[in-house]
Amino acid sequence: MTKQLRMLAPEAFRDKLNRRAFLKGGTVAAGFAVVLTACGGSDESSDGGESTGEASGDYSRVVNKASGALAMYTWGDYNDPELVGSLAESELGVTMKVDYYPSNEDLITKLAAGAGNSGFDIVVPTGPYIPQMVEKGLIQKLDMSKIPNFSNVDTAYVGRAWDAGNEYSVCKNWGSTGYIYNKTKITRKMETWQDFIDACMNEASGDCAMIDTGPNLCGMWYWSKGKNWNSQDEADIAECERFLVEEFAQHIKAFDSYPSTKLAEGAYSVAMGWNGDLRQAYTRIEDAGGDPDEWVWVLGAPATELWMDTYCVAAGAPNPEAAHAWINWELVPEISIRDLQYHGYNTGMKNIDTLIQELAPDLVRGEMIFFTPEQVATFQTQEISPLTDRQVEIMNKVKAKAGG
Amino acid sequence: MAATVANKRGWRPRGPKFALALPSIIWYAAFFVAPIVFVVLYSFGTKDINRLVPVDFSNPSTASYSAVFDETFFKVFRGTIRIAISATLLCLLIGLPVAYFAAFKVGEKWRAIVLAAVVVPSFTSFLIRTVAWRIPLAPNGMFSKWLQDIGLVGDNGIQILETAAAVQLAIVYNYLGFMILPLYVAFDRIDVLLREASKDLGAGRIATFFSVTLPLAGPGIAAGVLLTFIPMCGDYVTATVLGGAKGNMIGAMIASQFNQAQNWPLGSAMAVLMIGAVLLVLVAGAAIVWAAPNVLVVFEPLVQSLRRRAAQRPRQVGVAPSKHFALADSVLHRALGAWTVLVLVFLFIPVGLVFMHSFNRGNSFTIWSYAVSTKWWGELFDAAVFAQTVALFAALVAAGVVAQRVLRKRAKFGGGHSGWIVPSAFALAIVVNGVLTRWYATLFDFSGIGDAIRNSFLAALGATIIAVILGGTSGVALARRPGAWSSAFMVVVFLILVTPEIMEALALATWFPRIQEVPLVGYVFGSGWGPFNGGMNKLWVGQSMYSSAVVTLIVRARLAGLDESLEQAAADLGAPPGRAFRQITLPLIASAMIAGGLLSFALCLDNAVVSSLISEAGSTTFPVALLGATRSTIKPFWGVGAISLFVVTMASLWCLVVVLRRGGASAGNIAATLTGN
Repeated sequence: MTKQLRMLAPEAFRDKLNRRAFLKGGTVAAGFAVVLTACGGSDESSDGGESTGEASGDYSRVVNKASGALAMYTWGDYNDPELVGSLAESELGVTMKVDYYPSNEDLITKLAAGAGNSGFDIVVPTGPYIPQMVEKGLIQKLDMSKIPNFSNVDTAYVGRAWDAGNEYSVCKNWGSTGYIYNKTKITRKMETWQDFIDACMNEASGDCAMIDTGPNLCGMWYWSKGKNWNSQDEADIAECERFLVEEFAQHIKAFDSYPSTKLAEGAYSVAMGWNGDLRQAYTRIEDAGGDPDEWVWVLGAPATELWMDTYCVAAGAPNPEAAHAWINWELVPEISIRDLQYHGYNTGMKNIDTLIQELAPDLVRGEMIFFTPEQVATFQTQEISPLTDRQVEIMNKVKAKAGG
Repeated sequence: MAATVANKRGWRPRGPKFALALPSIIWYAAFFVAPIVFVVLYSFGTKDINRLVPVDFSNPSTASYSAVFDETFFKVFRGTIRIAISATLLCLLIGLPVAYFAAFKVGEKWRAIVLAAVVVPSFTSFLIRTVAWRIPLAPNGMFSKWLQDIGLVGDNGIQILETAAAVQLAIVYNYLGFMILPLYVAFDRIDVLLREASKDLGAGRIATFFSVTLPLAGPGIAAGVLLTFIPMCGDYVTATVLGGAKGNMIGAMIASQFNQAQNWPLGSAMAVLMIGAVLLVLVAGAAIVWAAPNVLVVFEPLVQSLRRRAAQRPRQVGVAPSKHFALADSVLHRALGAWTVLVLVFLFIPVGLVFMHSFNRGNSFTIWSYAVSTKWWGELFDAAVFAQTVALFAALVAAGVVAQRVLRKRAKFGGGHSGWIVPSAFALAIVVNGVLTRWYATLFDFSGIGDAIRNSFLAALGATIIAVILGGTSGVALARRPGAWSSAFMVVVFLILVTPEIMEALALATWFPRIQEVPLVGYVFGSGWGPFNGGMNKLWVGQSMYSSAVVTLIVRARLAGLDESLEQAAADLGAPPGRAFRQITLPLIASAMIAGGLLSFALCLDNAVVSSLISEAGSTTFPVALLGATRSTIKPFWGVGAISLFVVTMASLWCLVVVLRRGGASAGNIAATLTGN
């Protein structure tokens, strides 16, 4: 009885699969790998420039080492990729994992669904949302003894109304809201929110993008009328709803909190956005072979918002040590300015003008990061109230109407 | 069931009829029925954002339902159903010729190739293929510029993205494979003799197709329609990635009620109504299919008289009918072949684009920078780690060869086990080693893609094991011990298959926080056990639901087709029920369980909706991480990650399929078992 040679390979192959063939194949594979490694370059440098050296001035530069994994749930494109990647590993000793959300409501829902076990260490809510997150037990108190670099933060950004003692949050950066438009498609000069609304309803109908949060969408209407978006006036909110749902919704092409990539794809001719993200759009448009000079950034007028995003530590964070170490490290001026060059938002460091001159002298489009006192005077800060929920509901209806 | 010699020891199976299906019953009750019941309950509450669970039950009302019927939301419903129906019909029209071609017009070898070509794109990540459609459709992209140059498109470029048309296109693309496969199996199962008989009796090609082939393929067509229509209704990913504001589908809308608007009552009402709408359309479709032959009977006399008249017409002299046949046949063959090639090219376009853009020098996956670079792949082949893994692989192979030689010398085994060395070395060095040491976490330095791939595999593996165990046991119970319980159980299984994924995802996402207080269960989903954290356990639960239902049906169909005589014989010969199950039943359903396991693994690997809503930071899978990246920038190394995932998946599946082949199952057999024929 002949014993069958059972082998998990076709007949013809069986004879060839011996040691010689394996060695040959293995050498080829290894050679291939060597070639590809040689071709593989280093990380592409970030959109900003490289920091040049150290700043003068009296800053705290304590760096606490940590270990393990650090999970951050944040806004998109909000940190220099090298800081989050290789530098976090080498300087801090942590491996970072980052996930993104488009709005504060998404953040709150995700943390609430996790019920203290969401797995995130660091979250980045916008300031006014912090009280309700504290109430729902979603974030924990900071141990400020582990964040000695906190003294580097400009006192103007310390102790805000929604977290007077900085018990839960530390300023990450602050910014404002405006829009960008393509001047070859919309030839008239645009300067105000009303111009934006007019363009969206006419030249750019079906070609415009809104930020994907309720307050921003409704706020745009309020600001275009010169009103305060925290106004509790019932008639105002009703008119806002009527206008947005009945007249405006059908012209919207997309709800996109981060339009920079799609702008480069050519998806929109006008897009509402946050100043830093729209600043990144210019680089992306250039990368894609477009002409950045075709695009014009407009800060919302006559009014717009001032928002501040903060670092908080989530309740039930698996690695709070590393979370504090990260926040502390982000407040080192050199690191902070490096981040600023990437994401394009004012990080609230002390004497930031001097820092910029020393560390990033060739910063492009600085007018999109730093605002004049006249501009800042027109900024309104959000106040959470039952109205906020109403604004979310309005956005819901607008989305449904836009889809029809 | 002939009466045999009465078994003296009385080894009749005791216990309630549903005993074998008990694990499944408990599992479904705990993780499907209960969460869904709660979702339905939410729909009667009112929104209250001050609570952690933002639903207020003090004043139950149907206000949410009336809100849904408000024209604003209802339009989205109608639009979704319209897209789903037209996409299903398109898939049917596009896929039918391909299935027909593969089943009737080609030989065995080409058939395998065509089928493989249809199935292979489905093994790349669903999400990356959907994202890849942004590349050709970009208004600024190469394709758009070319169309502008030749004047087919206006100045603004292709304006398909962010509209319902893009969603329609991507949905048809994504589900085409799910239509072709059941159609092929249905055609394949038709007895060739029946078609030949029809032709011998004088029916033309068309008459044969409509009177013989199509009716016999009916169940397969129904399966294909179900497999495509139902997921399309609940689609969430395509609408999110490609749809923009205009391409809004109900799945995305329901998700945003829970994620953003925190309006759980409204979202739940929408979800309940969505299931109702899907069932309504299915019932309407079934009614049409049932009524159609009855309606056509009315036209029968007319058709007959037409045929008689055609037969009486004088034939052309001198031209043999067979020559007509041959000419028309070859034209048909060429046409079908050309169509099949076109469809296959269509299926591979996004895959090719993913591959091409993984070499993009620029920083964006979707925007081609007109320059290539291997730097993203350079990250993959980190020399030290790669060399280590290859060394481990080589060492294992060498160890296997040595061990085999030694054992052969001792004459313990014949020479026949050398074939196991390479695949098992691969499995150990790459897969198991990867799970244990996360060697490829170091390959992808940023964005945790390596971790995401590892989590994807772990989740899919665990969910598949659960699905196969549950499906195997309940399938056997349904086939062998049916009773009053089986109809109720089948209703639950059917519901699991019919419920769109977004609904299950939300049910589980709102359910897990609720059961945190339950002592052991809460611990498992909170801190996890062993090396698996709570998030991974949640993923196993979420991903195993649909898969276990599929495996149940497959096993049941397989076993129902075999009569009980073997098992009866075993009982008569004195085998206790446990042994009879292990040695008789289990091998019978082995191929069904393996086929079901394969399908389940593929489905779980690609699972995006359930995973993204219940995922936690430490257990993000590849599709979930990619979905998150769509909110930021997608860099080209996602293409590298997708292709690596694809390669490892295909390698693992190749090993398994070869094992199956040795076990006697052919490609057709596997495909048949998969669709329950």
